[in-house]
Amino acid sequence: MDKIGPGVEELLHELSVMTVNGHKVPVLGGPFVLTNYMFWLLVAFVVTLVFFIVASRKVSLVPKGVGNLAEMGVEFVRDGICIDVIGPEGKKYFPFVATAFFFILFNNLIGLIPGAKPGTGTMGTTVTWAVMVFLLYNFIGFQKHGAWGYIKSFAPSGDVPLPLKLFVWLLEVISHLVRPLTLSVRLFANMYAGHVTLGVFALFVVLLSEAAGPVKVLAVLPLALQIIMYAFEVFVALIQAYVFAILTAVYIGGAVHAGEH
Amino acid sequence: MVGSLSVLGAGLAFGLGAIGPGLGIGMIAGKAIEGMARQPEMAGRLQTTMFLGIAFTEAIALLGFVLAFILQAAK
Repeated sequence: MDKIGPGVEELLHELSVMTVNGHKVPVLGGPFVLTNYMFWLLVAFVVTLVFFIVASRKVSLVPKGVGNLAEMGVEFVRDGICIDVIGPEGKKYFPFVATAFFFILFNNLIGLIPGAKPGTGTMGTTVTWAVMVFLLYNFIGFQKHGAWGYIKSFAPSGDVPLPLKLFVWLLEVISHLVRPLTLSVRLFANMYAGHVTLGVFALFVVLLSEAAGPVKVLAVLPLALQIIMYAFEVFVALIQAYVFAILTAVYIGGAVHAGEH
Repeated sequence: MVGSLSVLGAGLAFGLGAIGPGLGIGMIAGKAIEGMARQPEMAGRLQTTMFLGIAFTEAIALLGFVLAFILQAAK
């Protein structure tokens, strides 16, 4: 039983510091040290870069191989997310949404490799993204409708009594302020929880298989569950990238079309 | 005492917090399937909306999950 302690501790410790040969790795020469999440973020960054450079090197009319895969993904984000949700002007915001989508997708998938950690499984990453989305869509709203026009657009238009109007406006403002919180916590908790779940099942398998006597055979049960959970986590990794991108598009679309409903 | 109570609270926070969203996600998926069976040509759009609805509902369960960790750390 004392074996399960450190294993779980290591899994749960969100800012686990990375050590190379028992030494911490300083970052930027300052007091900061490299954490596991920072390392895997960098890995995801390099993988994404290499993937798209390879995909765009030989552009042909009929793409194949990696190019085809990349084109499928990009087309899905452009048509399935941007234009579908925002409308024809969605193309303008496609670069941002696509960056969010592929950043999160690659981080999620790399986090599934045994031993790796998902770069999106830490609050620092997800809060940064959520705040960026929040600032961007509000900026778009102010730019499109002017300061007063955008602020006014939160209140219902039409024949509504003034107190009710103010009340609805207040509710709308609160719901907008909560958006960065839910956006970041959703992504973080999904990836973190998935990571911990997989780790705990792996620990069960190891502990049971090391047990004395015929109890060993029982290790098959968590192993079977582990495989099912793994497939489910791949699905979650895809869905969370999709959800984050589509919510970004919904928020931008709301700012672009503010006050039109 | 505080330690064991905070662990109990963490378990309760997640367990009770998962009931509502669990019911909600079930309802969303069920209604989406109903809609898709009635109008198969709308399936694509219904699916997008369903995932959006699930994402919003799920966020509540995940807040409970995060709260559970905070409570557990309070010991």
